[in-house]
Amino acid sequence: MKKFLLVAFLFIGSQEAVAAGGAPCGDYGECDSFKPELNNMESLQLGALTFINHCYGCHSLKYSRWGRIAKDLDIPEEIFSDNLVFGANVKLGDRMTGSMEPAVSETWFGIAPPDLTLVTRLHGSDWVYTYLRTFYEDSSKPYGVNNMVYPGAAMPNVLASMQGLQILSCKDVPMIASNGGVRRDEMGNDITEEKCGYLKTVQGSGTLSVEEFDEVIFNLVNFMTYVGEPSRSDRERMGWYAILFFVVFTALAYLLFREYQKDYH
Amino acid sequence: MEEKITTRRKVLIGMTSAVGAVGASFGVVPFVASWNPSAKAKAVGGPVKVDVSKMQVGQKIQVSWRKQPVFVIRHSKAALDSLSKVESKLDDPKSLKIEEPYRDVNPTRSTSDEYTVIAGVCTHLGCAPKYYPEIESQPWDESWVGGFFCPCHGSMFDIVGRVFKGVPAPTNLKVPPHYFDGSILTIGEERGTA
Amino acid sequence: MTQKSSGFFNWINARLPIVNTYERHLSKHPVPKKVNFWYMFGALASVVLIIQIVSGIWLMFGYENTEEGAFASIEYIMRDIEYGWVIRYMHTTGASMFFAVVYLHMFRGLLYGSYHKPRELVWVFGMTIYLVMMAEGFLGYVLPYGQMSYWGAQVIISLFGAIPYIGESLEIWVRGDYYISGATISRFFALHVVALPLILIALVFMHLVALHEVGAGNPEGVDIEKHLDEDGVPLDSVPFFPYKVLNALVAIGIFGIVFSIIMFFFPEGGGYMLELANFEEANPLSTPEHIAPVWYYSPYYAMLRAVPDKLGGLVVMGAAIAILFVVPWLDRSKAASIRYKGILSKIAMTIFIISWLMLAWLGTVPVTALRTTLSIIGTIIYFAFFLLMPIYTSIEKTKPVPERL
Repeated sequence: MKKFLLVAFLFIGSQEAVAAGGAPCGDYGECDSFKPELNNMESLQLGALTFINHCYGCHSLKYSRWGRIAKDLDIPEEIFSDNLVFGANVKLGDRMTGSMEPAVSETWFGIAPPDLTLVTRLHGSDWVYTYLRTFYEDSSKPYGVNNMVYPGAAMPNVLASMQGLQILSCKDVPMIASNGGVRRDEMGNDITEEKCGYLKTVQGSGTLSVEEFDEVIFNLVNFMTYVGEPSRSDRERMGWYAILFFVVFTALAYLLFREYQKDYH
Repeated sequence: MEEKITTRRKVLIGMTSAVGAVGASFGVVPFVASWNPSAKAKAVGGPVKVDVSKMQVGQKIQVSWRKQPVFVIRHSKAALDSLSKVESKLDDPKSLKIEEPYRDVNPTRSTSDEYTVIAGVCTHLGCAPKYYPEIESQPWDESWVGGFFCPCHGSMFDIVGRVFKGVPAPTNLKVPPHYFDGSILTIGEERGTA
Repeated sequence: MTQKSSGFFNWINARLPIVNTYERHLSKHPVPKKVNFWYMFGALASVVLIIQIVSGIWLMFGYENTEEGAFASIEYIMRDIEYGWVIRYMHTTGASMFFAVVYLHMFRGLLYGSYHKPRELVWVFGMTIYLVMMAEGFLGYVLPYGQMSYWGAQVIISLFGAIPYIGESLEIWVRGDYYISGATISRFFALHVVALPLILIALVFMHLVALHEVGAGNPEGVDIEKHLDEDGVPLDSVPFFPYKVLNALVAIGIFGIVFSIIMFFFPEGGGYMLELANFEEANPLSTPEHIAPVWYYSPYYAMLRAVPDKLGGLVVMGAAIAILFVVPWLDRSKAASIRYKGILSKIAMTIFIISWLMLAWLGTVPVTALRTTLSIIGTIIYFAFFLLMPIYTSIEKTKPVPERL
C-alpha cells in the first residue's frame, strides 16, 4: 500500500512537472527575483525620475496622482513640479493620465501602450524586473529588438542607450546525465555541449555597466511596485500594531477564560 | 456552580476591557477618516486662479471654488472711502467675532487695497446673497448705500461683506484664503503654502 | 435579574420581551460545558458577517456600479479615499475568511454529527446560508469588473446556457445584455448589497432560533437534556454569559491575529483571494490564459470540469451541494460523534477529507489529462461518501455513547 502510494505520488509529480511547462518568464524561464525596498526613498525617487523621463512619454499611471507621489516619496513640491511633472497645465492633484493621445499612440505602435499603474500587481514585480532587462537584438522585429520574457513585445528598448547592445549568444555548459549529475568521460572530465539562448551584453556599447543598469531597473521597478499599491508600506507597518493588539488581547482574554473556567471544572 | 467576583477577576476584566476599548477606538479610525474629502475631492477643490485686471471699477464677478461661489469686487476709491460711514449700521465692523485672515490689512478685508474677496455664502443658512451696489432706496432698506442682500431671509451686508445689525445672519461673510500675483488672484491658498 | 432590574426595564419588558429574550438566548442560555475549539467557528462566522456588512457599507461610499467606472472606482477606494485600502482589504479578506470559517463550521457538523435528531433543521438552515453565501460571493466578485470578474462571470453565467430550451435566453436575461455589461453590474450590485444580505441575515436568525430551541451539541454526542437540575437546567451545561462569551473572546482574539496577518501582509492570498488577473480592467475581447475561481469554489469547479458534458457538469455541481442538505437523513448511526462511530465511518471520513482537499487544489490549476482523471475520482469519492452513508453507518458497530459529558 505504501509503495503504491509512493509510486502514485511520483507519477503525479512527474506529470505536474510536465504540466508546469509554461514558465512564468517565457523563454527566460524562472523570473529573476525582485525584493522591493519601499522605504528606500532614494531608490524610489530615482525610479520615479527614470519612469517620467523614459516611460511616461507613452505609458500613463492613470490611477495615481502627481501630488501623492511627491508626498509619499518625500520630494519637495517645488522640486517635484519643476523636474518631474510632465506638462505645463498639470496640477499636483491631477491624475497621471499620460502625455499621449491613445489614438496617436495606436497608429505608432499598432496598439495603445497599456497603463502601467497596476502592472506590477498584474504580472508581479519579478516579471517586470526581468522583462525590462531581457531585450535583445533581433533585426526581424519592427523595433530591431525582441524580448525573452514577452516574445514579440510591441515596444522598443527605450533604455538601450544605457544598457548597450544585448544579444543572444551560445556557450558551453556541462551535460547533465540522467541521474542528475554532470556527465563525465572516461578521464573524469566534464562533458560539455553548446547551448544557445543566453543573453550577453556587448562590452562598452552602453553608457552603463551591467551592474549599474540593473540598479537603474531595480529603482524603476521599485517605484512601479510602489505605484501599484502606494499604501503598501503603511499597510505592513500598521499590520504589526494590529497583530500586537490581538496578541495582547488574546492573552488577557485567555487568562480571564481560565479564571472563570474554575467555576465548572 | 456559583459565579464569584474575586479581585483577580475584577482586575482581569478591567484590563481586558481597557485593551479591547483601545483596540476598538483604533479600529474605528479608518471608518471615520474615510468620510473626509478624498484625494479626488481635494484635487477638484484645489485653488483656482482668476485674472482680475479686466474687471471694471464697481464690478462684481463670481468665481467657483470648491463648488461654492466666491465674490470678487473691484471697488472705486469713493466706495472704499465711504466704508466708515456705514459702520453705525454694522454689527461687527472690525470682524472681531470671526476668524478674519487679513484683519486690519486693508479696508477691503482682502490682501489687496482695491479688490474684496469674500465667500458668497450667507452666514445665516447658506444662501448666496445678491449684490446691489447702487446707492438708492430699496424695498428692504430705504437708506441703502450699496451692499449685499440675501433673498432667502433678508440678511444685509455692506460692500465688503460686513453684516448689518438686526438681521438673521450672525456674522460677516467669510474671507477665503487667497493671494494676488500682480493681477492674478489665487483663491484657496495662502502665498507660499503651495 | 427580574427582581434586580429597574422599573424602566420592567416597563419595557411588559410590552417588548427584551429582558426575557436576553435571558433566554444570551445570558442564561445553557451551553454544554465541555466543547472543543471546533465549536468556536459559529461565533466567528457571526463576527465575520458583521465585518462584511460594515466594511461593505463603507465600500459602497466609493464604489461606482457602472461599466466605465467600476474598475477605476476600486482604485479610487484603494488610493484616493483615506484608509480606503483598509476597508477594501477587510472586505476581501473577510470574504475568504467567511468561507474558511463556514467550511470549518460545516466540517465540525459532519465530524460530530451536529445534524443528528433533533438538530436537522439547524443543519438545513445552515446549508441554505452556505448556498446564499456562494451566490453572494460570486456576485461580489464580479463588481470590480476586472478581467477575472468578467471571465469568471462569463463562465458561471454560461452554465445557465446548459439548461435545455430556455438556456440561451436565460443567459441574456440574467446579464440584461449580450455581454457582461453595466446592466449586469448594476443588478449584481443591488443583489449583492441589499437582496442577498437581507436573506442571509434572516437565515442566520432562523439558524440561531432553531439552534437555541434544541440546544447546542457537543463533541461527545451526549444528550445533555437527559440530566437536569431542579430548575430544569441541564447539569452538564453552563450559562452563555459569562462563560461562553469568554470562550468566544479568546477565539475572536486568535482569529484577529490570523485575520490581521492575512489582511496586512498577504491581502492577495498568493493570488487565491485576489486573483492577479483582476488587476486588469475587464476586456471582453481577450480571455486571460488561465481562468480559475477563487479558492472557496474550487472543489465544485473541479467537479464541473470533471464531467465532459455541459448540462452534466452543471447537474453534478448542483447535486454536490444539494446532497449536503439531506445529510441528516443519510446518517443512520446511533452515535452522533465520530468518536463513537465505527471504523467504516472513520475510514470514509478520512478519504472524504483527502479527496475534498484534492478537488480544491484541482479546481485552481489548469487542466491536464491526469488532473481530469483525478477530478473524476475525487467527484466519485465525494458522492460515494454521502450516498453510501446510509449503508456504512448502519452496518458498522458503534461504541456506547456515555450518559454524561
